[in-house]
Amino acid sequence: MEHLAEQLSSIKASFILLGPELVLSTGIVVLVILGLIKKIQKTTLTAMSALTFVVAIAVSLALSRSMAQESAALFGGMLRRDSFSSYLGLLIDISGLLTVAMTWRRQQLQRALSEYYALLITITLGAHLLVMSVNLLMVFLSLEMVSLSSYVLAGFAFSRKGTEGSMKYFLFGSVSSAAMLYGFSLLYGLTGTLDFSLGEFTRPLIDHPSPLFFIAAFLGLAGFLYKMAAAPLHPWAPDVYEAAPMPVIAFFAVVPKLAGLGVLTRFTLALYAYGQSSFDWQFVLSLVAMLSLTVGNFSALWQKNAKRLMGYSSIAQSGFLLVGVAAFVPQGIHYMLFYASAYVVMNFLVFLYLQYFESLGCTTLESFAGSGKILVWPAVFLLVGFVALTGLPPTGGFTGKLFIFSSLWDAYQLSGKGVLLWLMVFGLLNTVVSLFYYLRIPFYAFVRSGEINAKPNYLTFENLLGLILVLGVLYLFFNPGLLMGWINKINFVL
Amino acid sequence: MNVPVHHFLYLGAFLFSVGLVVVISKRNTILVLLGLELMLNASNLNLVAFNRLHPGNLQGQMFAIFVIVVAVCEAAVGLAIVLRIYREYQTSVPDDVNELNL
Repeated sequence: MEHLAEQLSSIKASFILLGPELVLSTGIVVLVILGLIKKIQKTTLTAMSALTFVVAIAVSLALSRSMAQESAALFGGMLRRDSFSSYLGLLIDISGLLTVAMTWRRQQLQRALSEYYALLITITLGAHLLVMSVNLLMVFLSLEMVSLSSYVLAGFAFSRKGTEGSMKYFLFGSVSSAAMLYGFSLLYGLTGTLDFSLGEFTRPLIDHPSPLFFIAAFLGLAGFLYKMAAAPLHPWAPDVYEAAPMPVIAFFAVVPKLAGLGVLTRFTLALYAYGQSSFDWQFVLSLVAMLSLTVGNFSALWQKNAKRLMGYSSIAQSGFLLVGVAAFVPQGIHYMLFYASAYVVMNFLVFLYLQYFESLGCTTLESFAGSGKILVWPAVFLLVGFVALTGLPPTGGFTGKLFIFSSLWDAYQLSGKGVLLWLMVFGLLNTVVSLFYYLRIPFYAFVRSGEINAKPNYLTFENLLGLILVLGVLYLFFNPGLLMGWINKINFVL
Repeated sequence: MNVPVHHFLYLGAFLFSVGLVVVISKRNTILVLLGLELMLNASNLNLVAFNRLHPGNLQGQMFAIFVIVVAVCEAAVGLAIVLRIYREYQTSVPDDVNELNL
């Protein structure tokens, strides 16, 4: 009886630390119920989901301020709330809120809006749980939570193409998650525990390294790389990006990517066992990063469709984010978080205006011709977004890339591994390559002349939100210290 | 009746390989879903067999139960997507569904 009471009180304590996730779950239930009411206004649904995200952000801010110790284990070690997972969770919530703001502009076009928002929040909830997971069972469950909702959401354009994108996403995703599961089952057999933050998990891997372990861990990584759209598990990305509605793509480019990145960081740090592992995971991650950068950037060069171009761009951006992890120094993870924050801002800036131009009929790159002369501010803001994604000053993208490459250089100095130098060379070359395709839309918009059927209108919602995002991108360049000071407080312990 | 653990692992690896071959070689989406189930069940077999190597707790068995539930959800979503594909394209063969240019 004593034992039971103890367990109940620990579950109760865990629930308090699970605040943001409980808010999101409540939001899902309320949205599904609201969707049953026939005469519900679409604006009500949008407001409700925006409210869910705002409350979740507020709760997680309050929670991270009031938490007594650095990290807390929840539900007997299934989940772990620490500053790393809280920060990523916050970024994910902000992305969700921005997605709702984007959807608000096209809510009249969206069928099944309540289900749409419910699925959106479900993915957010799954992503929250994924970045908190330290247990293989929990990783599998939350990854499937993100995946299953994403398959459905990818088809929410309700068109022929949308259905096709949804099917391709499903086929790739389910196979890679089955492979991941097989890897997890082998890892369980080799180590005897599902909790990969424990010493029990890493010790057998250091003492008796076997090739089977390498295969198992590699299969496990496949699931995360697929969620991040990193090569060689990227082929779904361009198809899904072309077919899904614009806010959904903007969401897919950030939330599953950050969630996959968070769990990948924890998992590879455990595998690497602070450099004691006999397998060189640094080499594997560097290879994956190089491959993603190259495949993403070079394929993007030939694209004619703006959405498809962003699909390849998101593959390349995964590569850049992975560079921060591949450095395997604490500073690298901090800089990766900085770049991730900048990426959220610039990604939404670009997608916001791509959606604006799409509503005016600009889907291919050529159709942007001449738009810069009539719609001056949208085109200028879009240019800022693309410049940031390329990584040129004066934007936060430049600062982020500079930080990431400087940590990579430090890691190279420390270990002297040739592959890190190659990664550096590849990253810098790819930045140059990305210039050619990111600046193609602004090139058409400002340099080529063409006809566009629109009136200049400065006071739109897009321009207001866009201005905020532009200021954010510029602020991260001129004063990175504020955000960096916050990130530096994140103590990364496994 | 005491079967050594490694026999189960051979069976699991065999099932996984068969599932992967089915997924890659079959053209019909329904058959691909079948192959997927084989792959998931191979992992289930592994988890349950490994639990015998690590007695003391039931982590492996619990994992297998969760996998069964998730597999059902995945099959439901997959079949729903196949239905939509069939309604739009009058086929369930992924090779015939390629409007998204590569």
